[in-house]
Amino acid sequence: MNAVLTVEGLTVRFGGHLAVSSVDLEVPAGRISGLIGPNGAGKTTTFNAICGVISPSSGRVRLGDRDISKLGTHQRARLGVGRTFQRLEVFSSLSVRDNVQVGLEIRRSWSRRRAPASQFLAAGADLSGPEEVELILDRLDLGAVADAPVGSLPTGQARLVELGRALAARPRVLLLDEPASGLDDAETVAFGELLEQLAAAGLAVLLVEHDISLVMRVCRHLSVLDFGQIIAEGPPEEIRRNEAVLSAYLGGTADVSAEAAMAPGGGG
Amino acid sequence: MDKFLTFTVAGLSTAAIYAVAASGLVVTYTTSGIFNFAHGAFGMLAAFLFWQVSQGWGWPLWLSVVVVVFVAAPLFGALVERVIMRGIEGASEVVKIVVTVSLMVALLGLATVIWPQDIARPVPPFFEGRFVELAGVRVAWSRLLTMAIAVGVAVGLRLLFTRTRLGIAMRAVVDDRSLLQLNGGRPGRTAMLAWGLGAGLAAVSGVLIAPEQTLSAITLTLLVVNTYAVAVVGRLRSLPGAFLGAVILGLAQSYATGYVNQTASIGPISLQNLPAALPAIMLFIVILLQPEARLRAHGVSRPRTALRVPSQTTAVVGGVALVLVVAALGALMAPSDLSLVTKGVGFALITLSLVPLTGYAGQISLAQMTFVGIGALAMVTWGATGSPVGVAISVAVCAVVGAVVALPALRLSGIYLALATAAFALFCTSMVFNQQEIIPGGSLQVPPLSVGPFEVTNDYRQLLLFAVTFAVLANLIVLVRRSSLGRRLTAMKDSPVACATLGLNLTATKVGVFAMSAAIAGLGGALAGRTFSPDEFSLPSSLPVTMLAVVGGIGSVAGAFIGGLLLGAVPIGATFFAANAIGVFRFVTLPMADLLAVAPGLMGISLGREPDGAAPQVAAGYRAVGQSPPALATTAAGLVGLWIAARAGVIPKWSFVAALGVFVLSVVPLLPLLFAPVDPAAEHSAAPPRRVATAVWMVVATLFAALFPWADAISSNGYRLLVILLVVFLSARVAIGLSGVTPEALRRPVVPSPDLVGTDRPLTRSDAMDAARAIGISEDEFAAAGPDPVLEAELATMGARVGNR
Amino acid sequence: MSAPLLELRGVRAAYGTIEVLHGVDLVVPEASVVALLGPNGAGKTTTLSVAAGLMEPTSGTVLVAGRDVTGAGPEELARRGLTTIPEGKGIFPTLTVRENLVMATYARVSLAHVEAVAYERFPRLKERRNQVAGTLSGGEQQMLAMARGLAVEPAVLLLDELSMGLAPLVVEELYGIVGQIARQGTSILVVEQFARTVLGVADVAAIMVNGQIRRVGDPSAVEQELSAAYLGG
Repeated sequence: MNAVLTVEGLTVRFGGHLAVSSVDLEVPAGRISGLIGPNGAGKTTTFNAICGVISPSSGRVRLGDRDISKLGTHQRARLGVGRTFQRLEVFSSLSVRDNVQVGLEIRRSWSRRRAPASQFLAAGADLSGPEEVELILDRLDLGAVADAPVGSLPTGQARLVELGRALAARPRVLLLDEPASGLDDAETVAFGELLEQLAAAGLAVLLVEHDISLVMRVCRHLSVLDFGQIIAEGPPEEIRRNEAVLSAYLGGTADVSAEAAMAPGGGG
Repeated sequence: MDKFLTFTVAGLSTAAIYAVAASGLVVTYTTSGIFNFAHGAFGMLAAFLFWQVSQGWGWPLWLSVVVVVFVAAPLFGALVERVIMRGIEGASEVVKIVVTVSLMVALLGLATVIWPQDIARPVPPFFEGRFVELAGVRVAWSRLLTMAIAVGVAVGLRLLFTRTRLGIAMRAVVDDRSLLQLNGGRPGRTAMLAWGLGAGLAAVSGVLIAPEQTLSAITLTLLVVNTYAVAVVGRLRSLPGAFLGAVILGLAQSYATGYVNQTASIGPISLQNLPAALPAIMLFIVILLQPEARLRAHGVSRPRTALRVPSQTTAVVGGVALVLVVAALGALMAPSDLSLVTKGVGFALITLSLVPLTGYAGQISLAQMTFVGIGALAMVTWGATGSPVGVAISVAVCAVVGAVVALPALRLSGIYLALATAAFALFCTSMVFNQQEIIPGGSLQVPPLSVGPFEVTNDYRQLLLFAVTFAVLANLIVLVRRSSLGRRLTAMKDSPVACATLGLNLTATKVGVFAMSAAIAGLGGALAGRTFSPDEFSLPSSLPVTMLAVVGGIGSVAGAFIGGLLLGAVPIGATFFAANAIGVFRFVTLPMADLLAVAPGLMGISLGREPDGAAPQVAAGYRAVGQSPPALATTAAGLVGLWIAARAGVIPKWSFVAALGVFVLSVVPLLPLLFAPVDPAAEHSAAPPRRVATAVWMVVATLFAALFPWADAISSNGYRLLVILLVVFLSARVAIGLSGVTPEALRRPVVPSPDLVGTDRPLTRSDAMDAARAIGISEDEFAAAGPDPVLEAELATMGARVGNR
Repeated sequence: MSAPLLELRGVRAAYGTIEVLHGVDLVVPEASVVALLGPNGAGKTTTLSVAAGLMEPTSGTVLVAGRDVTGAGPEELARRGLTTIPEGKGIFPTLTVRENLVMATYARVSLAHVEAVAYERFPRLKERRNQVAGTLSGGEQQMLAMARGLAVEPAVLLLDELSMGLAPLVVEELYGIVGQIARQGTSILVVEQFARTVLGVADVAAIMVNGQIRRVGDPSAVEQELSAAYLGG
């Protein structure tokens, strides 16, 4: 399998606390991979270590064939690691359009070559900067609020702005940290479709998300993190029946029907 | 061997003083997160107070020590914490730095007011004339005492911080302030005690230094600045690290004095001043050795108010208007006034250099005058005929030097850049500007610019040159702000970590901006066309530049201009008012000059109340006037009233000008606030405006301006204008401070709700419905809970969004 | 019957302009354990912050033992017998274990007593008393936090997400201690995500949704519904 992003034996220690312990992940192109687990399991820490915001105690991160473990955050970004944040990191004094524009301009400041735009945008190589920004805004349904300051948007839309900004940098792998929280049901469904289109366009996506029904719907592969360790891996249908996963979520032995607990829509 | 021992003892004794001073710095920094740039000034004040009580009033020595070290200093420290520092908790790093720097400047002013430099104030050493023989070296008792005190402080602090509940609480407050409260501790009181302790330690170092120096406010303050380098060894947080740093620096300085040949030199630089430059060198080395700071993703919790970016047309029109006004005013001025005004506009150019750096990128420099000096020096060296080539070289030299100076510190947090630039200023003062070979005779004559037929032969032309340069540069800076680079800088200020994950090299970007800022300051020096004394390039001269630039409103080009004029106006006002005094209640007489000496510092400290500076607020105020009928009515009534009074001869012409200035600039912008209905939502997050006090102040200030006999008191037109400008500005600041106008940025940051982490707002209706269904509450029951304004509003926006789809 | 030890009446609270508690009524009777449960974002932690004095409610009252303490600071409440152990960070990470215990003495108990109680219940803490707390394992850190609740013998104990990031065995042990503290006569309000564990200890379960208490009742009755609520989404 030709993974775009490979994580091997990643371990992060904060003081005596083992936040992430020997985590292995493979994120291939064209697939949405899910990383789930209870609060405090180490998902965001894993993201931070992958994009170089924190340095792990041990382990390696590879992008394609290249070991990027020793590189700084901006160098990893230039090689194609893009991400969004669980707690919003939008440029709140800029407008929605400028947020995406900055993503594009930063890319242009280090990349001279005019790489063809992603298939996702359904456009050729001769896309001008402003055109690309408008196209991204359009694909994310942000056209109507393009001139509003991001600080005034509801969280759900602000998350889309973060996504658009990340897309403007044309990443090879996209790390999404709870992108659907703050979206309502209809928006979540639309967002799921959007993710599938991104993957279909060849992007490698790693998704951390609390909305289990969304995860079950869009992910082809799931890794379950608990106490910093991967406790289960596999396609969603398998994970749904996994005893260890259920006990991680319910905090005891799983005597409740696993189907009932994990089924999308819950008891409703 | 004797010589070695002698210098070792001397070095250790100096080290002891550094260690005590640095431990005070570390104590306040670790407990409050505020690096106290005024620490040296605390020590300086203590030294003077010690002289006052022990020599001036002749109190017994032990009593003087007790009063200064154990009573006055701790009280003062606690007061500073309560009144100033508590207000800037959670403010940006730039504001924290500027407020403590301002405190330092204010205290320097205060000291020169109370203890003018007219007489020498010797303080005899403790145990004068008593020595012990140690291994054949005579060691003064006072030196032993100093070392013993340092050891005592080390042991005492160690015991305090590990054995007593208070000391442990001081450490605990850094870990988790609210957890300390949940334990029953009182963080506010703990912080006051910590500042009291810090000030006490500063006082100990001040009292120990006093006998070794001739008491001079600036020298004493800067001596303690050396301890920045010492504290950095322990990353500003570790006491053992600070003590280690103190020993290294103390010994290094002592050996440099003893073993480096005083007449030796490297090129034109004599090594005579090396000991004075060592702290700066050490600071640089230590900063170079520090590993790069970690990025943090902590969420952008509060939306910043976006400063309005002026359109390029506005900037061009503003620039042309500025040049025309300056040209017209300049033509009317007497030659003596003209040179002063020219100086002020020259300062505006220098404060302008901080707009991209501090205003756009959120970084700080405390060495802008040093870059002016380097620019001036380069101009003298390579452009002696006043050629523009010399100017270009000067600008390039400053850009390169700036980049090299800033590079190591910019990898770290903002406080290190402030320290590094301060150290750079000190280094240049002793190793460059105070070198006879480099600036002979202590005066540097910068040749006036001469481009072909245009020669700057007089002050008027110089003024025009400054005004045109300012206008052009300001337009360039607005252009930058509106360009891709400007957006990137704003983005970097909003979220550095997001920029890094998009591929932006943060360090390189910041270095670029710093170089640009240094280059503009250097241009200010190269074009100055006047004579400088090395003092003007020193750290104490640079501090007010940064301070007043921020006071004027660093986010905008107009703010920089205001800051520059203030910078020019303050010293002018001080020299002018030397003879004047204002009587208060007929029995206290305050010399005006003294007030002015403290004024700039006070203005900086007032930033604690509104960190965005003056210009943006005044602008926002005017926009609001149009929307408030009572404010409009009051404005019209006031203007008409003043005009009638002037026409009828009730108030003379100059008083009309002054009153108009006060009214238009400091009263009108605040009127909407006075009349605005109280916003119930804002009430929780900000202090309510003090309307009555503000209104009283507005009336008093306007009446003062209208009734003061300007024409009689001040004979020169130029002076009068500058003084009126200063009065207008001061009244505006006081009014803004009193009313507690709080732009968004000042509101106490709203702590993100722990329940909302990841969502940042209540769940949407559908989330709630799901959860409700899941736990068996029927939808009807849910809806029956009554209309919920938040939910309703949310539904409305959701509807709108769905509609857009 | 005596007044309940902790009572919230019509409490509303907001972060900035966003109101997150829309009128919370909650009663913790004397010597009982109340479990506050609900989905993420329901306002559980905010409720606890208001009760602990960390947040001032925009309206409504907070009563401790029948006395109105609305607006009293957290340190004031802590000194009057209301102990709070906040979510996941009940310790000072840069202080040693022993220094952490010193901080507990603000609640008018002697250090000797705190140490005796803590070390007796958790011998592991005694072995590590000079170790910096941040280097302890997650379970040991939570024990250290609990040791304070145990030693101070508070009238009211507020616990937030005790089980956050801990292994089930450790959680079980911790809730054993909660039961022990309850038997000392302390009234306990506990916020939890892992509902199952806490229901064994609780006398009453209160369900919170969207900033309001929606249901208060017998713990076993709500258990079935809860498992669906958490994973159902």
